[in-house]
Formats: sequence, structure tokens, C-alpha cells
Amino acid sequence: MDSNMAHDNPQAPPAAEVTTVFTPINLILFSLFLVIAYMRLRPEKPAASTLPQPPPPTVFRIFTPPDLRPFNGTNSMPVYLAIRGKVFDVSSGRNFYGPEGPYANFAGRDASRGLACGSFDEDMLTEDLRGPLDKLEDLGGEEMEALRGWEERFNEKYLVVGKLVPVGSPEAEGDAK
Amino acid sequence: MAQNAIEALDAKLAALLADWSLSTTFLALLLLAFVAYPIFYSPEPDTHPLLLARQSSAGPVRSRNESANYRSPEVPYGFPLKSGLNVKDAGAPRWAPGRDGDLRDVWREVQKGDSEGGDGIVPKGLIMTVLGKEEVLEHEVEDLSREIGVMGKFLQERVGKGSGRVAVFLPNSVELLNTIFACAFYGLSPILLPYDLSHPTVCEAINITGADALVCAAGTLPLEDVAKHCQNLKLLTWVVEKSSRHMDWSGSPNSSLQVSVWHDIISENATSTATSLPTNQPSDKLGNLLTVSQPVDSTQPPTITSFTHSNLISATAALLAALPVRQRLNPSDLVLPADSLTHTYHLCQILGTLYTHASLALTPAANPHLPFSLATRGISPTIILASPATLLDHHTSQTANLTSTLQSLLHTTHTQTLQAGRLPSDTWLFRLLAPSTTASANKPGTLRLILTPHRLAVPASDSPTLSSTQLSDLRLLTQTRIVYALTHPAVAGAIAQTNVFDYRRDDGQGPAHFGVPVSSVEVRLRSDVDDDVAGNRPKGEMVVAGPAVARKAEDGKGEGVVGVGVKAWVRGDCTLALV
Repeated sequence: MDSNMAHDNPQAPPAAEVTTVFTPINLILFSLFLVIAYMRLRPEKPAASTLPQPPPPTVFRIFTPPDLRPFNGTNSMPVYLAIRGKVFDVSSGRNFYGPEGPYANFAGRDASRGLACGSFDEDMLTEDLRGPLDKLEDLGGEEMEALRGWEERFNEKYLVVGKLVPVGSPEAEGDAK
Repeated sequence: MAQNAIEALDAKLAALLADWSLSTTFLALLLLAFVAYPIFYSPEPDTHPLLLARQSSAGPVRSRNESANYRSPEVPYGFPLKSGLNVKDAGAPRWAPGRDGDLRDVWREVQKGDSEGGDGIVPKGLIMTVLGKEEVLEHEVEDLSREIGVMGKFLQERVGKGSGRVAVFLPNSVELLNTIFACAFYGLSPILLPYDLSHPTVCEAINITGADALVCAAGTLPLEDVAKHCQNLKLLTWVVEKSSRHMDWSGSPNSSLQVSVWHDIISENATSTATSLPTNQPSDKLGNLLTVSQPVDSTQPPTITSFTHSNLISATAALLAALPVRQRLNPSDLVLPADSLTHTYHLCQILGTLYTHASLALTPAANPHLPFSLATRGISPTIILASPATLLDHHTSQTANLTSTLQSLLHTTHTQTLQAGRLPSDTWLFRLLAPSTTASANKPGTLRLILTPHRLAVPASDSPTLSSTQLSDLRLLTQTRIVYALTHPAVAGAIAQTNVFDYRRDDGQGPAHFGVPVSSVEVRLRSDVDDDVAGNRPKGEMVVAGPAVARKAEDGKGEGVVGVGVKAWVRGDCTLALV
């Protein structure tokens, strides 16, 4: 029995005196080696960026009181409110400022007077949306102090997304285009 | 039936295993090793891939026709940009916030070297000059301090305090540093003239800036011409090399221009002046530092930018912080600027070097076109500040040598390693790929970092762009991490700088990306079409703002803002790239 026969018929016992490297088991191991080597050395695809895209940035806008009015959380709008001309996006505090929240009156409005006086009543809001902004001139030192405190807290907590100006001011018209 | 099948299978398996021989054992071991190797020596990337997937942080609010502000992740939206070095005064409460500091504090920190500090001995950085092939001069900090004191006093007496402007036309040398620090200590404004300016341009720059004094290397400028064309100049100080000191340099062409010689001033005052530098007084009015750069249109007069100390210090602090902790400048580093210090990127890196007590080697040969192989002659720096032109030349000459199949195979595998986020380590295989740069590897201190700034608003020949593939090749050829920065004449230090561990390679010929803004500036893009800048990949004219940006007016308050005049975009990984 020569080596060729041993090769052709793997079930036959191999001849002790003849050895060949081309045995089936070697071939199996070698092809396994090739497969692993190929998998190791093939060009790696860079890991796809799995990070979620952040939300696009909000545009800083000039608001007039009527412009601000729709931003009260209804109709899936964000919740905005204004303090001394700064418009804050308080959507993350929707439970407070959104519809049915305890501060819902402030949503989409100038909240300066209400926060200064610590009152959530309707009469704290500026009645005439097309009129001038509330100048807060009649408020006392304590109330202004409270308002400053609120403004500071809002600055820390919420984003300033715009500026509140009265209807008809040149800034508002410049921004409208 | 089933049993038969199992028996048959068993017989087949037995027959298969009966063939087991020495070669099979060898194959099996090889296979095992191949599988086990990555388990035991798991190749970790140098940084987490997700850190490279989103590198800068965008502000949540933007103005119309502008993108959000992009910032370094160190100083996200709502935090103040980095304004200074947080200098702690002696005797200040341990946890009190430090001052921003100014250039004087950088030198004072150098003077602290080798003394007893709060946390043990303060390390001492060496300051060296490399001349030619062999000669390395070490400078004593005390001598340099005395020179700073003497020169500062000398200049102040002759050009007046506060308003005095001192033009400097010197190659990289301790005299250049000394003049800058002397001006800082004595309330003068240095004007850094790039050493490759032509003579008429030097005179033009001196006249535009209204310099009162000029410190320049002996014989580099024709004295007659300077006296004729720069009527405002009151004082000219030659810095004379050792070999030329036997000549008489003190001759003056006319009575209005006083001519002096640096080493004479120093030796005359060697004993008379107290060696201590003036202490900081709150009333001190600091001078500015003026830089001169050649505009894109060479017929235009040179661009002059006036930087305050706070501009430079905030840029220095930001550049120091821009490197991750493991790669930061430290006292065991030796920094070699292979490009002129008149560029604020290099100047701020050097200030950072001095402040962190790293060693500094200056070579007068430094210029934007210095061959890379010459930069490391005589010493082996760990950090090189090089111009893109130097690196590009190196790339061209070295890749021309990569011809054999073995080398290209190595190049491919090493590029794959880089792609996987690891810098291939120094192996014998590497020597085949890059033989010439490993010549100095047997000396202490191996090169670990190359910092190279791309310059905006200068002629394209002065700052060629490097593509991502070239940078990747250069990382392999120099076996070093490379940081590519974006700079502009009106911004001290850098606008943006790539992450040290960002080895990703983008195919294409365009310039590589510039990483993220450094923490002393924020970057936004402006476009007339709002849609261009609305999303997460805005595209438009680059606008840079922050404490490192020079203000327009001399005494302007508030932050500097500059439109750098190039179109850029923010890539998906939040890095800046030019369009």
C-alpha cells in the first residue's frame, strides 16, 4: 500500500514508513487557518457612528407678544415664557408651565410681573398684547429682588431662545422678513 | 439506524484523527496561537472610538443665518471660555481660584525651577540653543533673567514706558525670548517681525507700527537703509554672534538713531543692575504684542495684529489643555520649534513649554522650510513644532523611497493598524519602512509628538495643506502622533486642533479636517442661506470669537470676533474642515 492509496482512501490505516503533510486533517486545519487569517486581515470597516444626532439648534428669534402667544404647549408647541425681555424655552418644565400646570398662565406670555409678585393670577399678565411691554416701574425693591432671583434660576435652568419686543419695534420688523 | 450513523461518523473521525502527525500538531498550534493572540494581547485603540465620533459640542441656540457655536468639549455651552493659566500667587489660599496671569508669570514660573515649591521641588526646564550640527549651549535661568532685566531697563529708558514699541527681527534665539519678556516686564510692546521678511517689508512694517526701537541680528539689515527709511526709529540694537564680536558694531549713520550692541549692554550692566525683575504691581500697564504677517496678496502692506497679554495667555492655556492628559507637555519633554517663533501658535506653545517646566531647544535655523532631518540634528526632541511645508517635503522625499513590495505591504498593514485606532509601535519592521528618522532613536528622548499649524490668510506657498492620507503616512514615517492645527493671524494660538489620537484616514486630496476648536475660542459658520447652517452639518463662512481673538480697536473691551474669510463645514463627527 503506497502513500497515494493512503491519501485516496482515508479509512485505510496509513503506512508507518510513509508520511505526507497532505492529510485530510491537515487540510481541514489549514483551511480553517486561512479562513481565520482572512477574517483577521481583511480591511476593517470603521465602526459606523452609532451616536444619535442631537436635535438641530433652535434659532434665536425676536418675539412680539402676539408671536409668543402660540408657544404655550398646546398643539404640541414648545412652552416659552418671557422674563424682562428674555424668552426662555421652558419645555422641559412642561409639568409646571404647560397646559394644566400650575403656572400655565405664564406660558406664551410675559411672566415678569407675575414672578416678581409671586402671583399666578390672570391680572398679572399684560392685557393688551399689541401694546407696549410691561415696564414694571411700579414694583418695589423686594419684588424686583424676587424677579432677579427668578431670572437667575431660569438662566441656569432653561435656554434663552429669543428676545421679547413690543409690536411695531424696528427689531421685530427686521427679524420678520 | 441512528446508531449505525453514529458509528460510521465515529469511524470517519477516528480515521481522520489517525492521520495526526507532527505537521498536524504544528498546524494546530499555529491555529491556536493565531486565535489566542488577540485574546491575550487585545489591541486596544488609543482612545475610545466614540470619543472621536462626536468631538466638539454645539450650542443649542443659534442666530439666524449663523450656525450654533462650536466649542471644545472642555468648555461646552454655558461655560466661560478658557481665559488664562490659573496662576496661584505665593501665599494665596490653596483652593482660591488663580489669576489668568500674563507673560511675566510665565517667566516667574521658569525662575521657580529647582526651588522648593508647595508640593516638593519644582522641576527645572532647560533652555538650550542648538547651533549647527554639534554645538548645544545651555543657558542658566539666572543669566537670562539678568539679561531680561538689563535689556528691559535699557529699552524702557530710551523709548519710554507704556507707549514704547520695540521691533524684533531675530531668528529663534534666547535673545528673541529675552526681548519679549523684557518688554513684558517693562511695559513695552514688542513687534515680532518674521525673520524671512524682505528688507523693504521690514522697514514698511516698522513704519506702519511706529516702532521706536529695533533689535535685530547683526548684519541682517543694511544700517544706512534702515536709518533712511525708518525716521521714527530711535534705537537700534544689534545682536552679535560670538564669532563676530571683534568687529565694531556701534557706528551710527546719523545722530537721530542710536546704535547699541546687545552683549555690550549686558556686560556694562553686569554688576550695576540688581538681578531681580520688577514685581507685578496692579497699576502696571502691560504692553501689547504685535505680530506681522504677509497677506495673500503680496502687493498689500503686511498685516499687523495687536495681541494683548490676555489673548496670548488664554491661547497658551487652551493649547496646553488641548492635549489629553497622557500626552500633555511635562517636565520630561524637550520641545524644539523648527519654525519661527514669530508665529503665535509656536510662541504660545513655547510659553506653555516654559510654564510647564519642559525643556526648550531653540535653533536659529528654524524656518517654515527647514528640512525635517535637519530639525533633529544634534539633539533628540520629544516634541517638534514644525510647519506643514517641512512635513510635506519630508513626506514627498520619504514616500519616494518606499518602492519594495515588502515596504508597501508593511505600509498597508500599518495603515490598517492606524485605522483601528492604534499607532503602530516601534518594531524592527518599522525600520524597513522609515529608516532615516530612526537614526536618532538610540539617543534618550524619542520623538512623541509633532505639532503643525496650517496658516490661513497667508500666501498658499507659505502654508501648503496636508491631506488626511499625507498626515496618516507621516504618522507612520515619523512613528509619531501628529496634531494638525488651524491658525489665523488675528487669533492667538490656534482656532482648532485635531485630537492627538485621531488617526482616521479619509481618502481624497483635500485638506484634512482640523479637529475641534481649542478652549480659548468658539467657532460658528455664517451663511446668507439659512438652510446651509441650520442642521447638524452646517456650512459657511467661519467666524471665530473668544478671549484669544485680537480685538479690533486698541483699547476695545469685550471679546474679539473675527471672520477668518474661509468657508468651512462641520463634519458628521463635529470636526471642522475647510470646504
